[in-house]
Amino acid sequence: MSIKYQSQKIAEYFYTFAVVLFLVQVVVGIIAALQFIWPSFFILNFNTIRTLHINALVVWLLTGLMGATYYVVPEESETELWSLPLAKLQFWATVVAITAVVLGYIWMGLNPQANSPIMGITPLNEGREYIEAPRWADVLIVITVLLFLFINFMTMLKTKKWTGIQGTLIGGLTVLALMYLPGMFYTKSMVKDQFWWWWVVHLWVEGAWEVIAGALLAFMLMKVVGARREVVEKWMYIEVGFVMFTGILGTGHHYYWIGTPGYWLWVGGIFSSLEPLPLLFMVWDAFRTTREARNVENRAGLYYTVAHAIFNFVGAGLWGVIHTLPQINKWTHGTQITTAHGHLAFYGAYVLLVLAMIYITLPAIRGVKAFNASRAFQSFWWMTISMVFIVLTITGAGMVQVYMERLMGLDYVAVKANYNMWFWILRAIFGVGFLIGVGIFVIDFFRLGKEPAPAVTAAPERV
Amino acid sequence: MSNKAARNLFILGSLFFFAIFLGLTYDTMGKLDKRAPEITEQVNAGKMVWHKYDCIGCHTILGNGSYFAPDLTKATERKPKGYLKRFLMDPKSANPNASMPKLGIRDEEADDLIAFLDWNSKVDTNGWPPKPILAAAGGVAGKELTEGQKLYQSLGCAACHLINGIGGTTGPELTTVGARRDRSWLIGHFKNPEEYVKNSAMPKVEAPEADIEKLADYMITLK
Repeated sequence: MSIKYQSQKIAEYFYTFAVVLFLVQVVVGIIAALQFIWPSFFILNFNTIRTLHINALVVWLLTGLMGATYYVVPEESETELWSLPLAKLQFWATVVAITAVVLGYIWMGLNPQANSPIMGITPLNEGREYIEAPRWADVLIVITVLLFLFINFMTMLKTKKWTGIQGTLIGGLTVLALMYLPGMFYTKSMVKDQFWWWWVVHLWVEGAWEVIAGALLAFMLMKVVGARREVVEKWMYIEVGFVMFTGILGTGHHYYWIGTPGYWLWVGGIFSSLEPLPLLFMVWDAFRTTREARNVENRAGLYYTVAHAIFNFVGAGLWGVIHTLPQINKWTHGTQITTAHGHLAFYGAYVLLVLAMIYITLPAIRGVKAFNASRAFQSFWWMTISMVFIVLTITGAGMVQVYMERLMGLDYVAVKANYNMWFWILRAIFGVGFLIGVGIFVIDFFRLGKEPAPAVTAAPERV
Repeated sequence: MSNKAARNLFILGSLFFFAIFLGLTYDTMGKLDKRAPEITEQVNAGKMVWHKYDCIGCHTILGNGSYFAPDLTKATERKPKGYLKRFLMDPKSANPNASMPKLGIRDEEADDLIAFLDWNSKVDTNGWPPKPILAAAGGVAGKELTEGQKLYQSLGCAACHLINGIGGTTGPELTTVGARRDRSWLIGHFKNPEEYVKNSAMPKVEAPEADIEKLADYMITLK
């Protein structure tokens, strides 16, 4: 394995930043899990820790996807990047902007008054979930994302090879950039605030990001098992098409109870119930394609690719559809059931996607022929088993919460502090298991290709 | 199906569904203001306070946010405003068991925030959050409620107090209050809590003398 174009190496910069943030995300996640047991544990309050947890998640996945894009576009366009220095500038601008935002969060966490509005704008934290980044940072983020899109678009324009994979990838990234904008203005009404907020959050994770995932899945299947382009691209179009057909109006499942008209119960209920279907297509696609594979060199890459397809369906699809109908959601809305869905969906749909892309492209970037995949498998099982149990404990906590608080009328705090306590303890323990998996992955990331390859690779097994 | 047909289906289909979504969004935007009270300057100032302290980092509102602390959509219906204000400015002075840290919320900020929460509680949310089935059922197993039990419910005492596991946790538990307090103490305490419990966060019970006595009669049966 080796790269065809030197500028593809820029991907490793983004991967490295992503991997470091992944570790940060999981460490603060464990602090947050402990705060469920001891609310005053740690110098920073839960809101700051949680802001760091979810922002680190979004940013590391995005930078991972950026790195993957910088790898895919030259390969598909069969040319060097339009401008490597600009891509490096874009990388460092991203790092600086994100670091400044994080320092702002911590500062505000230590001194809430530092976030007092200046001319009607909170300077350190917008106080809106997932898009806490303040307005000045929004502008910086938009500039770097536009620069990123521009570099890739100019690269594609050099050879004008409009392959389906890179077209879909850039299309998804463009929608991603556009859908950041509805979160960038202030509304006096909390209802309108949440209405537009869901444009960002839902149309990202159940729209643009799934389109990107579909394009990268097609790319990975071609790379790992040598699937034929015509076939994977056709299925990719069908998959991402259904993602959009169900996902756009599926936004309605967030418009049941926030002060929006009643017809959203119908629109959201019907379309979001169909959202798992394209994810099921992706699983079927992955299995059908890999079954035909004869000689797979990069078994770790294949493993993560197929696991991504499966857990995308289970986490984003199944764990979402169980509480998406209004009749059920009326009782589960705003409970730990949502947390459980969020964890498995992000892990399956996007964490495994970025890790799969890293395992498929990093050996080529480092010019490694074969690498010892044992750490890749170890980290996979530590992370996956731990995450499944984290999700099961939170789901259990959510079921108890729905029954006791929502149906019986017990106090929120009584349920959380008494009846859910064991779930929190178990969740924290499995969180440590997940951290072990991430630690093994981080070690593997930094050492892959830098130690002698083993004489014998692990015994082949069916995937 | 050819690749080109699949691609066109993806692009045109996505645009079609996005156009419907835009149409519904336009319609919704025209209806939202009628489904909520007017937004006063104070409500808007309260929303800025909400954002400033990143309240959504722990709480949900309209069911969205973090799941670490109670949903605040109906906060002003569930707790007396005097209690809420005191809690916001210094949580542990209102409830010694509170987990919420003292954030430095100032007097006027607390008033604005309560106005904002009050606005949210009056938004037409299609019936969310639903009334708990058991609490809404009233009398359990066909047993008629006493006058005092009815008053306990109608005055909203359960918002803060627990009896046999049902109710709020911000005030002291009342399951065995009859063993600790006598009738005259209870009646006096209802009329002016601070006179009996130093720094009490409990509001005065605003009810006729006869009702206060019935409530006390109910309390002393709890042993």
